[in-house]
Amino acid sequence: MSKKKLLIYGAGAIGRGYIPWVYRPEKYEYYYVESNPALRNLLNDRGLFATFKVINGEYESLHVPLIECFKPGEEGAVLDSVAAIITCVGPRSFPTLESTFRNCKVPVICCENDANLPVEMREHTKNPNIIFAIPDVITSNTASKEMLKKDPLAVITEDGTFFADEYASQIEGNCSYVGREELKVQWLAKLYIHNTPHCIAAYLGSIIGVQYLHETMQCAAANRIVEGAMHEMENMLKFSTNIDHEFLRFYANKELSRFRNSLLCDPISRVAREPFRKLARNDRLIGAAQSCLSNGVIPKFLMLGIMAAFCFDSIDDPDSHIKYLLRSLRPEEFLRTIIGLHESEALFSLLVSNWDSNFQKIMELSNEK
Amino acid sequence: MKNEKLLEAAIKAAMKAGKCLMDHYEKRVLTSSKESLRDVASLVDKNAELEVFKILHEFNPSLPILSEEHVFQGVDCGLGYWVVDALDGTVNYLNEVPFFSVSISFVEQARTKVGVVYAPLMDDIYYAAEGIGAFKNQCKLKTSDRSPNNSLFSTSFSGKNYQPLGREEEFLVFGRVNDMSRGCLRTGSAALNLAYLAEGRFNGCWGKANKEWDISAGLLIAKLSGAMVGVIRCKSEGYLYHYVAAPPQNFTWLQQHIETLFPEDDWVSVS
Repeated sequence: MSKKKLLIYGAGAIGRGYIPWVYRPEKYEYYYVESNPALRNLLNDRGLFATFKVINGEYESLHVPLIECFKPGEEGAVLDSVAAIITCVGPRSFPTLESTFRNCKVPVICCENDANLPVEMREHTKNPNIIFAIPDVITSNTASKEMLKKDPLAVITEDGTFFADEYASQIEGNCSYVGREELKVQWLAKLYIHNTPHCIAAYLGSIIGVQYLHETMQCAAANRIVEGAMHEMENMLKFSTNIDHEFLRFYANKELSRFRNSLLCDPISRVAREPFRKLARNDRLIGAAQSCLSNGVIPKFLMLGIMAAFCFDSIDDPDSHIKYLLRSLRPEEFLRTIIGLHESEALFSLLVSNWDSNFQKIMELSNEK
Repeated sequence: MKNEKLLEAAIKAAMKAGKCLMDHYEKRVLTSSKESLRDVASLVDKNAELEVFKILHEFNPSLPILSEEHVFQGVDCGLGYWVVDALDGTVNYLNEVPFFSVSISFVEQARTKVGVVYAPLMDDIYYAAEGIGAFKNQCKLKTSDRSPNNSLFSTSFSGKNYQPLGREEEFLVFGRVNDMSRGCLRTGSAALNLAYLAEGRFNGCWGKANKEWDISAGLLIAKLSGAMVGVIRCKSEGYLYHYVAAPPQNFTWLQQHIETLFPEDDWVSVS
C-alpha cells in the first residue's frame, strides 16, 4: 500500500522531533516547509534525520526519511496531493500562511501553542478544515553532543500525547482525537500548568546562567519559585473552571518531573524565546497573573517569574531589546508603555510595589551557579 | 560610544520630556512668536528641553547638544553630538491637536547612530539604533511597501521665509501627490510622520528645508524599518535639510514627483 503524503510547516522541535512519532514514517511520506536556509539545506542534503524519544529513562530512536524540504512559497506543487497539513511554525509566523490555507481541502492541524490562532484563521479564510491540536510533550530542538556528532539534525522528545480536534480523525496516527470541550480542558491545563511554569523555569535558568531547563530545577531557590507558580496556577484553575482537581494535581506533578528530566536536553534559549509574546495581556505570564487576581489568588511566585522574564538578556533573541527598555524606563513606564498594563489595574500596583524586592530576589539567583 | 547606552539615555530623556509635556497639556501656556506664525515657542517647550538636557548631561557631560531652542550647546570634540527637539509639533500641542512628539538622536561623524521619537499622548515610543534595529514599544517596526495609488503620504513644508518664490511649487507638488494616491497629509510633526512611515501607517514622506532636530531621529527609525532614505543639505543654512523617505516601491516614484522642489544649486551634500 502506498504511503500518504504529509506536509509539515516548520522543521523545528515539534515538526521534526515529535510529529514523526505521531504520524509515523511507515504510513507517511514527509514534505517540510522551512524558512531557515541552513536547516533547509541540511535536510535536503541528508534526506534523513533521527529523532530520539525518552521512554522509561532510555532513548528510543526513529530514523525519518524526507522527500523534500521546501522554501516557503515553493510548496505549491504538493499542496493538492497531501493527506494533511501540520503547522508548527510559531504564533508569530502562523498568520503569514493565511493565503496558502484559504482553499485547502485537507485538514490543517495547527500545533501553535495558541488556541485562538486556528479559530482566527478559520474565520479569516472561511475554511473549516483548519483545526487545533496540542502536542502535550516537551521536545528539544537539539540533542546531546554524541547524538549530534552522528546526526547534526538529531532531536530529542518525550513520550507525550497528541490531542487533536476530532474533525481530523480520518488522519491515521498515534493520537487522541477529542471533542472541542475536552480539547479546551487540555488546553487550559497546558497553557497554565505547563506553559507558565515552563517559561518561568527558562527565565530563571537564564539568570542563573545554565544551558538546559533541568539544570534550573537543580537550583533549590529556582525550583521553589517554579513549584510555587505551578501551585498558583493550579489554584487559579480550581477556582475559575470545573476541571477535575485530581487531574490538575496529576498534570502538575507530571510537568515537574518533565522539567527535571535531564535526558531531554531542553535548551533555555528555546523555551525563553520571545519574552514579549509570553508577556502579552492574554498569555501565560501577565494573562495568568490577571486570572489569578480575578480568582482571589495572589500570584506571589508568578510575579517573580514575570520579573525574571523582564530581565531576560539574550542577544540572539528577537525580543532582545527588552533589556534596553528595562534599563531606561521607570517601572511604571515599562509596565504602562511596554507591557500595556493600566495604572488602575491591581496587577500594575502589585508589580510596582514589589518591583525592587522582586528584582533583588531574581538577581540573587545569578550567584547560584 | 556604545549605541545601546546612547539608546538607553535617549529613551530615558524622551520619556521625561514627554511627561513634562503631558503635565501641561490642555493647560494655558505662554507663547511667543518666532520667525513665522507657525513657528511658536512655548514655555513648556523650554521646560521639556531642560529636562532632556539634564538627563543627557548626566549621561555624559562632554557631549554637545544641538537643539531647536539653543541651536548648539557645548563644544564639538569629535565624539558626536545629541540632536534634540523636545516638542515637534508645537502648534498642534498648543491647539490640543493630538499629534506632537519628542525627538532625540545621536550623530557621530555625520551618521545618525541612535534615534528616539516619543508620542506622549499615544504613549508610543519609537526607537532605533544601528546594530540593534527599529522598534515601537515592544514590537519590531517594518514599513509597508505598497504601490503609489494605494499609499498614504505625508509632507512637511519649508518655513514661510525660506525661498518664498518656491512656495507655490511646493503646494502644486503636494496637490499632485495627493491626487495620485490615497492622499497626502501635512500633519505638523515631521518626526511623527517618519515614525508612522516606519510603522507602515504612511507609505512615504518628504520635506523641504526641514530642521535637523525635526527629522534626524525619524529618518534613522524609518531607514532601519526598511525605508529608503535620501537626504540633501540646503546650501543656505547649516541645519536645514531636504529629504525623501519611502519603501522601495514608492521611493523612485516619489523622488521623481518632488524633484522640481530641489534645484541642484540649492543643496551641497548628500548623506
